[in-house]
Amino acid sequence: MAKPLLERQVSLIEHLTSGAAIFGEGGGTAADLEGIDCALLRVEARFSYAKRMEKITAVLPRTFALLGGGDAHVRAFVARCPPTTLSRLDNACQFHRFLVSCWQHEAPDPPYIADVAAMEIACAKVDADPEHHSSDRPTGADPTHRGDIRRCPNVILLRCAYDVRSIFEPPLPTLPRMQGRAGEGAAPAKRDTPLVVAMPPGADGPQVFEVIPAIFDLLAALYDWTDPQGLDVEPDFAKLLADLRERGLIEVRN
Amino acid sequence: MTTPAHSPAVGKGFRASIERWTRENLNRFDVLEITVDHCLAGSRSLRSAIFDLVGRIPLTAHGVGLSLGTDAPLDLAYLERVADVVERLRAPAYSEHLAFTRVPGRETAALMPLPKTEAVAESIIAKVRTVQSRVPFPFLLENITYVFEWPDSKMSDAAFLNLICRETGAGLLLDVENVYLNATNHGFDPHAFIDALHPGLVREVHMAGGVTIRDESLSKPLLADSHSHPVPDAALDLLEYTLARQAPSVIILERDDRLEAGGEILDDIARIRARVAAARSGKAYGEALVGTAG
Repeated sequence: MAKPLLERQVSLIEHLTSGAAIFGEGGGTAADLEGIDCALLRVEARFSYAKRMEKITAVLPRTFALLGGGDAHVRAFVARCPPTTLSRLDNACQFHRFLVSCWQHEAPDPPYIADVAAMEIACAKVDADPEHHSSDRPTGADPTHRGDIRRCPNVILLRCAYDVRSIFEPPLPTLPRMQGRAGEGAAPAKRDTPLVVAMPPGADGPQVFEVIPAIFDLLAALYDWTDPQGLDVEPDFAKLLADLRERGLIEVRN
Repeated sequence: MTTPAHSPAVGKGFRASIERWTRENLNRFDVLEITVDHCLAGSRSLRSAIFDLVGRIPLTAHGVGLSLGTDAPLDLAYLERVADVVERLRAPAYSEHLAFTRVPGRETAALMPLPKTEAVAESIIAKVRTVQSRVPFPFLLENITYVFEWPDSKMSDAAFLNLICRETGAGLLLDVENVYLNATNHGFDPHAFIDALHPGLVREVHMAGGVTIRDESLSKPLLADSHSHPVPDAALDLLEYTLARQAPSVIILERDDRLEAGGEILDDIARIRARVAAARSGKAYGEALVGTAG
């Protein structure tokens, strides 16, 4: 008697997403797939793999350019991280998490690639649905407390070890649709670079601002609704808050 | 041979990377097809660009994320979100593939075929009814192209589609390119496939152009549905053959690669329109071109 369809579908997709099928690394097909031409399964596996990598490369074009061949990374990624979603961003985040885990054991090469990858992911997240990324944020202890402030949900803070912004020219608003150009020109300077990635009101794409460390720390502290009166207020604090609000970096509860 | 008097709307699938070009050439299309999943999971700028088209040009709604054929319960929350999108797009129908792309915990993003058996058809019929109950718009199933077949497939492609559509009242989004590719790759007569479809079944049509894969491990070259090149003449012939027998309201050109070749896209649209005109005139395309003296 034939196995239930779902079991056969699981066997098929496990095979098609395996390194064995994609890279021809050996290993046979499951018994559930007997009767299906192995060469055709290999073609199907490559189609599927190409689609997935196309999505990831679209979000991380400069990271891929810096990885160069990156063949070893990609093969290890395929082996350790099977695809779990159709989403371009989720696939890219999965690859980014994989790279970060690799960089815990081996130095990033070039050393600034970690900052480049983090910025590409941040820009893609900011360009995605802001509600998606704010769902896990606290709603504030006292929703009736008007005038409280917090960092806008769709703002991402990046403390980079290298100033990688030169790699992102032309301007970031077109980032997700740009072709990879990383690796061109001089290497970025190594310096502590506090960056804010945000979608200011009226902007048609994510933008990156460098801020002074004090502003970066303030924005980091404003994760939850906060009474501004309780902050260490300087003379121009109101003006600063107005400026941050205008740039879409903080919001005020009305 | 009957000659349908209507004229289907001709357009293309909306793609973000050529959004500006699409807007500049909007008057070249009667309709645009929107991938509903781009409205659900695309970037804010993409969603904004899509919904800005509402009212400017008729839109149709096409899905890639349902995985109707997975032998597991449907994602009802996903369907509810789809229903919202279809309503916002003011689309006349919602289409999805007769295929599966995932199993619990894994997603291939590639459309996989189902074993064409009566048991599987019964399962799909129940799921299509669920879709129809959750998404209150006409539902269309699309035939896919497949590289391999399950060894226990017993029914023909047309019989499988006819059965599911007859039992559910779903229409067919006929991908003519897929019929052409499958017929070539798997050795069946594409005209017999078209002839076997129930009259009135085809509500929309997809056209596309692909590439030929030559690999030493393959027993013969394989035509692949890459949506990257001009529609082959053989697929246009099959479209014309289809239009003489079915009356779709929409024909969509699918193009996902080499999108910078805008001239090719517009040329394909013109070639499709010429085949529509030929089908309406009741003359074969070549015949119409030659015409009659005097």
